[in-house]
Amino acid sequence: MTRLPRVSSFFRNLFHKAHVERDLDEEVRAYLDQVTDEKIQSGLSPQEARRTALVELGGLEQVKEQVREVRIGAFLETVVNDARLAFRMLRKERGFTAVAVLTLALGIGAMTAIFTVVNAVLVRPLPYPHSKELVYVQEMNPWGLSPFVWNKEFVAWRNQSRTLGPIAAYMVFMANLTEGGDAERVRCGMATISFFSMLGVRPLVGRLFLPEEDRAGGPPVVILSETLWRRRYGGDPFVVGKGLTLDGKAYTVVGVLPASFVIPDSIKLDYALWVPLAEGGAGMGPLRLAFFRAFGRLKSGASLATAQTELATISKSVMPAGLEQGIVLTRWQEQIVQSYRRPLLLFLGAVGLLLLIACVNVANLLLSRAATRRKEMAVRLTVGAGRKRVVRQLLTESALLALLGGTLGLAAARWGKDLLVAFISPNLPALEPITLDYRVLCFSLAMALVTGLAFGLVPALQASRVSLNEVLKEAGRGGSEARSGFLFRNLLVVSETALAMVLLVGAALIFRSFLQVLRIDPGFKSERILCVSIHLTPFKYSTPKDQERFFQQVIEGIKSLPGVQSAGGGMMSLLADRPDSLSGLALEGRSETIASGSSDVISPEYFRTLGIPVKLGRDFRDADRDGLPSVAIVNETFARRYFPNENCLGRRVSSWVHKGDWLTIVGIVGDTRHTVESDPDPEIFIPYLQDGPLLSSMTLLIRTAGDPRLWESAVRNRIASVDKDQPPYNIATMEELQAATRTPRRVNLLLLSAFAALGLILDLVGIYGVVSYSVSQRTHEIGVRTALGASRGTVLKLVVGQGLCLALMGTGIGVAASIGLTRFLKTMLFGVKPTDPMTFVAVSLILLIVAWFACFIPAQRATRVDPMVALRYE
Amino acid sequence: MAESQMNLLQGTLDLLILKSLALGEMHGLGISRRIEQITKGTFQVKPGSLFPALHRMEEAGWLSAEWGESENRRRAKYYRLTKAGRRQLGAETEQWARISMGIASALETS
Repeated sequence: MTRLPRVSSFFRNLFHKAHVERDLDEEVRAYLDQVTDEKIQSGLSPQEARRTALVELGGLEQVKEQVREVRIGAFLETVVNDARLAFRMLRKERGFTAVAVLTLALGIGAMTAIFTVVNAVLVRPLPYPHSKELVYVQEMNPWGLSPFVWNKEFVAWRNQSRTLGPIAAYMVFMANLTEGGDAERVRCGMATISFFSMLGVRPLVGRLFLPEEDRAGGPPVVILSETLWRRRYGGDPFVVGKGLTLDGKAYTVVGVLPASFVIPDSIKLDYALWVPLAEGGAGMGPLRLAFFRAFGRLKSGASLATAQTELATISKSVMPAGLEQGIVLTRWQEQIVQSYRRPLLLFLGAVGLLLLIACVNVANLLLSRAATRRKEMAVRLTVGAGRKRVVRQLLTESALLALLGGTLGLAAARWGKDLLVAFISPNLPALEPITLDYRVLCFSLAMALVTGLAFGLVPALQASRVSLNEVLKEAGRGGSEARSGFLFRNLLVVSETALAMVLLVGAALIFRSFLQVLRIDPGFKSERILCVSIHLTPFKYSTPKDQERFFQQVIEGIKSLPGVQSAGGGMMSLLADRPDSLSGLALEGRSETIASGSSDVISPEYFRTLGIPVKLGRDFRDADRDGLPSVAIVNETFARRYFPNENCLGRRVSSWVHKGDWLTIVGIVGDTRHTVESDPDPEIFIPYLQDGPLLSSMTLLIRTAGDPRLWESAVRNRIASVDKDQPPYNIATMEELQAATRTPRRVNLLLLSAFAALGLILDLVGIYGVVSYSVSQRTHEIGVRTALGASRGTVLKLVVGQGLCLALMGTGIGVAASIGLTRFLKTMLFGVKPTDPMTFVAVSLILLIVAWFACFIPAQRATRVDPMVALRYE
Repeated sequence: MAESQMNLLQGTLDLLILKSLALGEMHGLGISRRIEQITKGTFQVKPGSLFPALHRMEEAGWLSAEWGESENRRRAKYYRLTKAGRRQLGAETEQWARISMGIASALETS
């Protein structure tokens, strides 16, 4: 009943605005006329009567404005009006708008792009059905957590657990794939049926495994990945039923997985194909020693803790004494993202600093603009606008700026996201897809609005706090700003310099770490070396003799290639940490045993090819083979640690290959660093032709006369000529491999440097803006000074001094903040302390030089102030 | 008049306007004068409060307005109570009586 008039008023106010306004105007005027009439009747002159009537009324426009404010739909109308006006203002001042919007777009765009990644990795649940209930099983053994579980345990859990619903297991293995194309070595997965159902995957072609296939002695079947299907079978839709050979064993294809199928993992691995795990069965090897991982889904009502206790109890009941271990359950997502959380949050923090700097700059711009608009504000207040109203108008302007910046930033992020993801993917876990979903959208929108209010509020309050009398009186002088405006502006410069300082220190520390990493001597010469790995098909090369013969032929064949200077090989990868294989070995004539160390089986030219110096004794030769006394070469660390102050040549160490055998040390070689992070371990090398262990794989190292890649096909041919079914893999130059180990560091470095560089540029612009504004405000003062005899130098010092003073304060605060914050970088640093004084000093200097530069240009302009012009300006 | 007092008297102003229009239609200045008269000079309603109130009440459907001619032959906008306005006057009078009784008894007992 009472709604109706309100609704109709609402529409009248909205759509017949001109009429409503005219009506209001007439009504208030009529009132004024009536009061005037009364005053005239009481004896005042018409002029005097009108003046007193006006005073009594309190201003025509003011009354009208007060009525407008209570009108229904007034809020909406003001918003629309404000937005329209704001839009017009922004369009009028294109330069200002462009700078502000671009600055904000930069900040918000960068923030959105990083948040897209953070969202996909840390916020969004894993993209699998009921993914929050997925838990990952790990074992706690004396050396720490291990992701691998025993087959026996797994079967017992699957059969007995009441807390875990389905439970699945999978493992990765490498195998030589032959038939249907060239032989190649591929990464394969082995999984239970439940694995696929728990990850909610449906086959693209054919089907998944059947229960009878996931069982010991079941038919050998295989599911292809989409990539392999396209590459080797040309996407043949009738691939089901075809055969392939894996490590010499025949399999039948039953299906193809979609390309979108990604196994959530902390590193991204491409699986070429899948075979059934067939627990306890033949599978791909002795499963009791296999490295397989288990995960399950918590039943509703079961907690992580109860499930963990239950699995541990079951484990204890089935595992032989001495092998039972603690069980640790973690949420799968948690397990995967753990190590990524800190770097990602760090990037988010860094980009947040950048956004703050951008906001500070825009606030600065608004503040300068507010100063030039003081007269406009004064006029508005005079003709009846309330202060709140003016603030609201100004906030609408900044919100509009922020929204424009946000939209542009979002568009940029949408485009830049893929670039960013491609760039930092070496530092990301396998959690796909990384998309701009609704969370990201909400985040950006909220960010735009918050920044709009944050950087707009103080300038708006500042602008609306004008004293009418003063401004109007100042008319001739163009209006100088209140003192508090200067103060606030200086505060902005100080804070953005401090923010830039923090960013720069972070980037500089990472940069210094990178230099340290590059400076490390790995102990070998990496140029012109081609690395090629071969893993022999087990059943075809089952004895050490067969294996040695194969590698001997291959190495001899490669050595005979023109342009190959030397070639050797080792069983272990050169650029990875090596397992401890020496602990407990006896040293002849000593009571102590070796505490720890690693070993490798190598060919004679290994050291020569890698340029590792033989410090003492001799290198291996072709004659070091079966039938002669077993020999070994140790590295310097080994010699130093176990034979300090004595010659270890001729001493003997017990063999880890054949119990009871002794190895005579015949040489000492220089140390090699396998990874940057670890110091050299004690190492023992033995020749591969000596009665040794199984030598199923070797990485060949070939030193060439030029770009190693040019020898790739010749090397492939030599290997194929020995056995075409033993595909070489991991073919790369040593330099490429070394660069790859540094990729994560390089990514961190480039990303943080980019943020820091942008921060520095924004800071430069900010300081420049403030100083040149202050110069323009002080034109008069500078003119007076010059007229009174101040030299160019004095003026220059005055202006630059003022700016540098602010920069110095900002740098100081930035140093303090950095000391507090850089410890979060610790895990990313190498060879540099988070509070490295040299870095701090260098960065401060850079920042001050940039600040000086930013001050110098406007200062120069100040010196050119002509006193005559400046004074006449008044 | 201080702002806090104005807020307190917001409802009062509505009641006074309704009451002054109960006798018949009237223009803005007339309402203002009538209120001053019936409250024996306690309330002097300024146009800055009067007009927003009138427009608000018109939008609420308590008042209707139309242009007419004033005593001294000037155009003026005349307000009059609608049915809803009369009901509102009844309701507000009752409520006001309750409040004033309550306050009066509170003051007496202390």
